[in-house]
Amino acid sequence: MTQDPETAEISFDRSTTELDALQQAAYAVADLMTVDIRASATDYTCTLFPRRAGLDEDMLKHRIRAEVIDQTLRLRIAKETGPIRNLIFALAFSGTGLADSGTTDE
Amino acid sequence: MNVRLLRDATAVPPSGWQLLPMRFHRFDSDSVLLTNLVGEHLFVSPDQFLAVIDGTCNDQELLARLRARHLIQRPGDRLPAELLAVKLRTRLRHLPDSTGLHIFVVTLRCEHTCRYCQVSRQSSARSEFDMSQETARRALALAFQSPSPHLKFEFQGGEPLLNFSLLKWIVREAKRINRDHGKDLAFVIATNLALLDDEILRFCEEEDVHISTSLDGPADLHNRNRRRPGQNSWQKTVAGIRQVQDRLGPGRVSALMTTTEASLDRARDIIDTYVELGLRNVFLRPISPYGFALRLRGGAGYDVERWLRFYETGLDYIIDLNRGGLPTVESYAAIIARKMFSNQDPGYVDLTSPAGIGLGALVYNYDGDIYASDEGRMLAEMQDHTFRLGNVQTSSYEEILLNEKLLQPLAESFTLSAPMCHSCAFEPYCGADPVFHHATAGDFVGHKATSAFCRRNMGIFKALLRRARDDDFARDLFWRWGQR
Repeated sequence: MTQDPETAEISFDRSTTELDALQQAAYAVADLMTVDIRASATDYTCTLFPRRAGLDEDMLKHRIRAEVIDQTLRLRIAKETGPIRNLIFALAFSGTGLADSGTTDE
Repeated sequence: MNVRLLRDATAVPPSGWQLLPMRFHRFDSDSVLLTNLVGEHLFVSPDQFLAVIDGTCNDQELLARLRARHLIQRPGDRLPAELLAVKLRTRLRHLPDSTGLHIFVVTLRCEHTCRYCQVSRQSSARSEFDMSQETARRALALAFQSPSPHLKFEFQGGEPLLNFSLLKWIVREAKRINRDHGKDLAFVIATNLALLDDEILRFCEEEDVHISTSLDGPADLHNRNRRRPGQNSWQKTVAGIRQVQDRLGPGRVSALMTTTEASLDRARDIIDTYVELGLRNVFLRPISPYGFALRLRGGAGYDVERWLRFYETGLDYIIDLNRGGLPTVESYAAIIARKMFSNQDPGYVDLTSPAGIGLGALVYNYDGDIYASDEGRMLAEMQDHTFRLGNVQTSSYEEILLNEKLLQPLAESFTLSAPMCHSCAFEPYCGADPVFHHATAGDFVGHKATSAFCRRNMGIFKALLRRARDDDFARDLFWRWGQR
């Protein structure tokens, strides 16, 4: 693939980075850049396409790297707290009648 | 000794806690904002945050504060989940009672030609743009099918006082119908007050009708935005406000302002105008990107960042007025403060999730068409009928509320599942606005990384939280606003 001079490239180790985190990070930085993600045996390689001319390449790399770390943390928190989150929602909505709204009278 | 024993009893050993559902936002270089499911929040340092997530934190005071905010719990604890469930349920308890606000567009006619008006440029002589009594009768029948024990009827236009005879009929007919329903009714006329006279004042006094008007600030600014023959809109509005205050009482009239480019450097002047008139609630509102307002040269003429600077200047001035002993409220901040500092969700139509369209408000247009929100009606003026749910002549209540044109935007924009919203630390304070995103991005969700709605509201949340963190007086003031 030919590298566009305006783009930057950054890689993440597949053993430490989840694809979900990369995709969510790419979504979150969409005001600054769009991101193309390609997987190899060991890495995810991200090509960063700046939205505007003049955006510094290092800044874009720092931004996506920081965002991937935060999205990884979010996934970790979500995974760890998922069961209790579901419990809280179940407790909150139990007895409201909303859970029965799909049933029909025979 | 007793304190020591208490500390030992509540101490949390390293890794001896479980995370509760939480979201975070890197607030500034040395602090991270943590929020729980219902918006209770805490600022911690980036190192503290990582230590809590990694299970290596040994700062007992911090762990105690995290437990108190229901951000962590000790293994085996049951109470935090139960309390969070009760708080969550409390926040959402308004939902089964939809729909509470019923907006009647009794005429499109208006004698003003405001620069930013979204809906009405009809000559005040053209009565074909008036709602008929038959349309109003059918709209009332639909409104009373709402399960809500509280119904608010708001009259809009155009200038609703140009169809005062129908407005009177609706108020009296609603009260007659209500003898069989026993609901709590409220009535509001959204008027520029230019046509206020003794008969209208007497009617409002007798029927307990409230007045909501538009006041953009000092005379020069207001008259520049709100044009009418004679260039005396401000004089008419101010005279009307004083008449209502004198005759009906100071609490029976409120005012809203709209921010144009000319307003941006005049936040203090605008607030002073309100204070001088004894209006203690100031709602600093940006211009809406709907309807005819889009034709304003250059759009709104300002971007989110400029508007936020205006908003923060106004907010700081209002805080200082309170500090000096003059109780004054910024209404949007007060709505958010209720979400931040209480377990209540005020159900404000533009800042709630599920979105307030249809569930919070229904709009009956002069021609009988029913819209999911006032902004949906404004879009229809530009031939975009996405949010038209039916017509009073042909649609049943069930057909309106179960219309895919309502359910689809509600489901897609729900913030607990929308992209980026579901993991956003500000989600408990925010809301879904599928009409805004449809108008500006072409779909009901929008892209949160580029959404002006998102940037504006996040800017306001951060402005409030920063002041609450750094200024004890501001924190107490916001807390009081939140309990109103």
